[in-house]
Amino acid sequence: MMPSQTDLTAGTVAQSGGAGGTWRALRHDVGAMLGLGYIALVTLVAVFAPVLTSISGWTPYEFDQSAIDPDLGGMPIGAWGGMGAEHWLGVEPGSGRDIFARIVYGARVSMSIALSATALTTVLGVSLGLVAGYFGGRVDLVVSRVMDFLMAFPALIFMIAVLSALPASNRSGLLVVVISVFGWPYLARIVRGQTMSLAQREFVEAARAAGASGTRIVFREILPNLRSTIIVMATLAVPGYIGTEAGLSFLGVGVVPPAPSWGQMIAASVKWYAVDPAYFVVPGVCLFLLVLSFTVLGDRLRAVVDAQEGR
Amino acid sequence: MKLHRISTAVLAAATTLALAACGGAAPDDSSGGGGFTAEPAEGGTVHVLQNADFSYLDPARGWDGGVNNFYRLVYRQLTTSAPGSSENPTEIVPDLAESLGEASDDGLTWTYTLKDGLKFDNGDPITSAEVKFGISRAWDPQIGIGSPYLKQVIDAPKGYEGPYKSGDLPTIETPDAKTVVFHLIKPFPEFDAVLSQVNATPFPVDSGAGDEFIHELIASGPYKLAEYVPGSTIKLTRNENWDPATDEVRAAKPDGWEFTIGLDPATIGERLIAGQGADVNAIAGNIQPATLPRLQTPQLKERVLEFPGICTTYMGLNTTKKPLDDVRVRQAISYAIDRTTIVNASGGTQLGAPSTTILPASVAGHKDFDLYPSQDGTGDVEAAKKLLDEAGLSDGFTMTLDIRAQESMQAQAEAVQQALERVGITVELNLIDTSTYYETIGTPSQQHDAAITGWCPDWASSAATFIPPLFDGRNIYEKGNGNLAQINDPEINERIDEIGAMTDIDAANVQWGDLDEQILELAPIVPLMVAKGVTLPGENVTGLFSSANAATGGIDYVGVGLKDPEKG
Amino acid sequence: MLRFLVTRVMSGLVVLLLVCLFTYLVFFALSPDPAVQICGKNCTPEVIDQIRGNLGLDQPFSTQFFLFVVGIFAGRTYGEGASAVDCAAPCLGYSFQSSQAVWDMIVQRLPVSATIAIGAAVLWLLAGVVGGLLSAVKEGTFLDRFTTGLTLTSMSIPNYVLALVLQYVLVVQLQWLPFPQAVAFADDPVQWFLNFVMPWIVLAIGYAAAYTRLTRANVLDVLRENYVRTAYAKGLPQSLIWRRHALRPALTPVVTIFGMDFAGLLGGALITETVFGINGVGKMAADSIARNDQPVIMGVTLLAGFLVVVGNIVVDVVYSAIDPRVRVNA
Repeated sequence: MMPSQTDLTAGTVAQSGGAGGTWRALRHDVGAMLGLGYIALVTLVAVFAPVLTSISGWTPYEFDQSAIDPDLGGMPIGAWGGMGAEHWLGVEPGSGRDIFARIVYGARVSMSIALSATALTTVLGVSLGLVAGYFGGRVDLVVSRVMDFLMAFPALIFMIAVLSALPASNRSGLLVVVISVFGWPYLARIVRGQTMSLAQREFVEAARAAGASGTRIVFREILPNLRSTIIVMATLAVPGYIGTEAGLSFLGVGVVPPAPSWGQMIAASVKWYAVDPAYFVVPGVCLFLLVLSFTVLGDRLRAVVDAQEGR
Repeated sequence: MKLHRISTAVLAAATTLALAACGGAAPDDSSGGGGFTAEPAEGGTVHVLQNADFSYLDPARGWDGGVNNFYRLVYRQLTTSAPGSSENPTEIVPDLAESLGEASDDGLTWTYTLKDGLKFDNGDPITSAEVKFGISRAWDPQIGIGSPYLKQVIDAPKGYEGPYKSGDLPTIETPDAKTVVFHLIKPFPEFDAVLSQVNATPFPVDSGAGDEFIHELIASGPYKLAEYVPGSTIKLTRNENWDPATDEVRAAKPDGWEFTIGLDPATIGERLIAGQGADVNAIAGNIQPATLPRLQTPQLKERVLEFPGICTTYMGLNTTKKPLDDVRVRQAISYAIDRTTIVNASGGTQLGAPSTTILPASVAGHKDFDLYPSQDGTGDVEAAKKLLDEAGLSDGFTMTLDIRAQESMQAQAEAVQQALERVGITVELNLIDTSTYYETIGTPSQQHDAAITGWCPDWASSAATFIPPLFDGRNIYEKGNGNLAQINDPEINERIDEIGAMTDIDAANVQWGDLDEQILELAPIVPLMVAKGVTLPGENVTGLFSSANAATGGIDYVGVGLKDPEKG
Repeated sequence: MLRFLVTRVMSGLVVLLLVCLFTYLVFFALSPDPAVQICGKNCTPEVIDQIRGNLGLDQPFSTQFFLFVVGIFAGRTYGEGASAVDCAAPCLGYSFQSSQAVWDMIVQRLPVSATIAIGAAVLWLLAGVVGGLLSAVKEGTFLDRFTTGLTLTSMSIPNYVLALVLQYVLVVQLQWLPFPQAVAFADDPVQWFLNFVMPWIVLAIGYAAAYTRLTRANVLDVLRENYVRTAYAKGLPQSLIWRRHALRPALTPVVTIFGMDFAGLLGGALITETVFGINGVGKMAADSIARNDQPVIMGVTLLAGFLVVVGNIVVDVVYSAIDPRVRVNA
């Protein structure tokens, strides 16, 4: 279901230094810069959503009955799903709600869920991976078994079942938690592997000889060396989570209405794609570009980091 | 309780019917190409495309708009609804019985005589014993979970639990093989309609215990089960032991039926539009709003079949919660509601009509009135605000609306939310999983301030199955409650009893209409709209008449057939 | 080798038991009372109690769980007397909503899901490995960049969007294909192919992209290895180096991932089956979730977990056969 997660294991990313170097290399990569640009744009749009909708004149919840045709199933009036001066990106069939406003507010939902899930996954994956990799033994055994278990688990079925059974009051928070619970092992597995090899290196031995505690070594010596791996892995995880959120919304267990999310907009537009393609295309393209941007950025980041590592 | 089991798709498919009292069930037949009502030819297989699976093959268990119509192809009862093609399709007519029941003077004893030559699909004769046995299954606590009317009306020993647990039901007498005598708890003038309920189907004595009828069925109608793959397909073939001479209701022209289940509603629409291969012989429920704009070409327009609706979509206001216990607040909400946005959110004017009454226009007893009028039905904000002022709620308030996690209901709820915001009422939406929705709102301890749901009559020849279940204050249950408003008004209760006892159904219907208005003065519910039916039958299908009773307003299967059985 | 196998099977069993316990626990805590659901409309408290008794819902969690696990191996009977229902081993539970043993429901639909999974797997393996190899061989060329762009793009299209677009174009507009339905191969091979081709493509495209990238990365890694450089330095012909030294190590990781992905898919492609309305295990899971049919959701979850665990073991065994070092490390 989530091929992008499969891909996470594709090339292992090794430790390396020089954030500045990475950035310099990345700056000359057109694809990465375009991706970063789009991500920045979406982020700005999400942050300034209220400002933007006050300029466009419609909130995401306002109905506009004059923009739809009651005799045609509530289809938007006018070409391209009712796009025009009044509604920049057209309106939603049935209600006449402004699509621009919904896209803008939907960006908030998609971005905040994906980023929170990434943050939570990263914290979980990194700390558990570090602990398992450094301390080994029984700790490793337990963590590894839990990872096996979670990775063997049919996550999608389970996520839908859990989300549909739980009360819908705070779906966004729940989405983040559920996505993270099943997401962290993919990062932890790699962190664990790298920690194991780092633990054998001279500088760790030296710290140990100097009497540093295990926790100190893990967080002060090993963690900084994993920085680029983590950044790359996190970047590559974001598109997966955006897709998962959209997929869950598509299957009807996403955020609670009337709050807009891109996945839910696509789900709603699916029925209309034959007669009102614009309604399908707008959120579809926004989502696709966001996923693509993160994927490309992560991919380039990994290439740069790999190259710096001297391969 | 009919709606409680109508699943999402079936509800959407629960199309609608022709005017009960006004006759003229035939839809517009002026269109070319043989139209919808030409006499079908003998033979061929009719295909039905649907999203949801049937609830149960066992008519004692199943009871909803989708499956009742299917039952009509395989099961018969003492009485049934007239075919959709008849003058008055909501009329109850004899089926297995020679004539309608003969009531004793006190209205407590009803006698029926069976026709000759009745057989099950295994060749065994259908006698009074089988009729009685089949009916007694309704009392089994685990099997008789369908229509409640038999149990409510027919007298039975206290603690009787159906034939498998308690044995014979002594209060139904079978003096000879052709005569069945029923004793009622109290007079029920519409008892013929009660026996037309699907769970009054005869079965061979001692059959159907446990899960026997879950994957099998014993047919008494024109078709028998050939193949059943749950969630996927049902195939019916001719029941050779069904004698057409005994059946005036079922034309049963096709040789077989094939139901394809589990299709995405959008796919169904696409398949019907494309009409490839065997899909020319296909029918389905309502088309989706998004498919409507695609039907604007002359060829497709010609194939569109429309029915008025028989089900009312309404918002129940929980009168036990503050501030909804104040009638002025409920009236204010009734004024503020914008039915235009609700209809548009549900697919526009082709798929729905605003409703200001409890009873839809197509149900007998309907009286046209609007107690809370407004310009174009968009709501009267001033009147609503004035009432809220009087109630001391000038600053508005917040209420929680229970809704089903399903697209069209969410759209309706969002429209309600927008409309009430204009008068300062903040509506919070409480999304409930589809499978537990009716259970939740039917449990007074769990329901919130308001809920959107719908109601269809169990028989449309009167309002007897519409008003009492929703507004009788003595029927407020801890679980499975249908009186969502929890209104318990002595005057309403009294009127319900009085009208229910009237033997002149026509006179009773006039009174139901008046009661409708009397109830809405208290505004325990806000009627929102009546969903209409729009279907797109395959071009080779004909004999398409709607039936309020048999098909919840949709196409009555018993008359359907093919123009050319060789096609597809 | 035997010891290795035993260890792997044991740890697989532990994982399965965990999956089982976790699923059971969550649904035990979450779902609405199944007895109330079965009871239906005109329900009374007595009837609910009776059903609870039949289902064993009145017993504590540990007993219920124990009975469930025992049922998997020995089968079980729900209730007593006339209303008793049998659930033969392997009893993954009994759906009272559709009155069928969950195992029977799964068996009925598994062939369809398997057809979809196998067809898609063939497609994505072919496309992924060939694409990855070409891309690696032609590293840095236009072909490589094009493939990379294509894979990144394919990975970014949600599969339900792709499914709908394909259906609209190929079925509705061009009418080249029928609306997908599960047709048996034996009935009509051509129709079978035409009906399944869209689900195959939709399902395969994401994996194909991932496999292309995986293969490319691995091949490039291997080509940079010292022994391959040495082989080049020694002047061995390129085709020989490729065959003997590069391909096998480059493709072993693909085998590993493939085992897991494929096993996961056998348990049903939820979104694809739902969008196309194909009655496989995935669609059954989606339907059961919508109806809150807890035993079926649990059964499918367990089956999917089982397949992944078995897939893993098979992969490990195959792997250790190819590469004996693995055995030592395990």
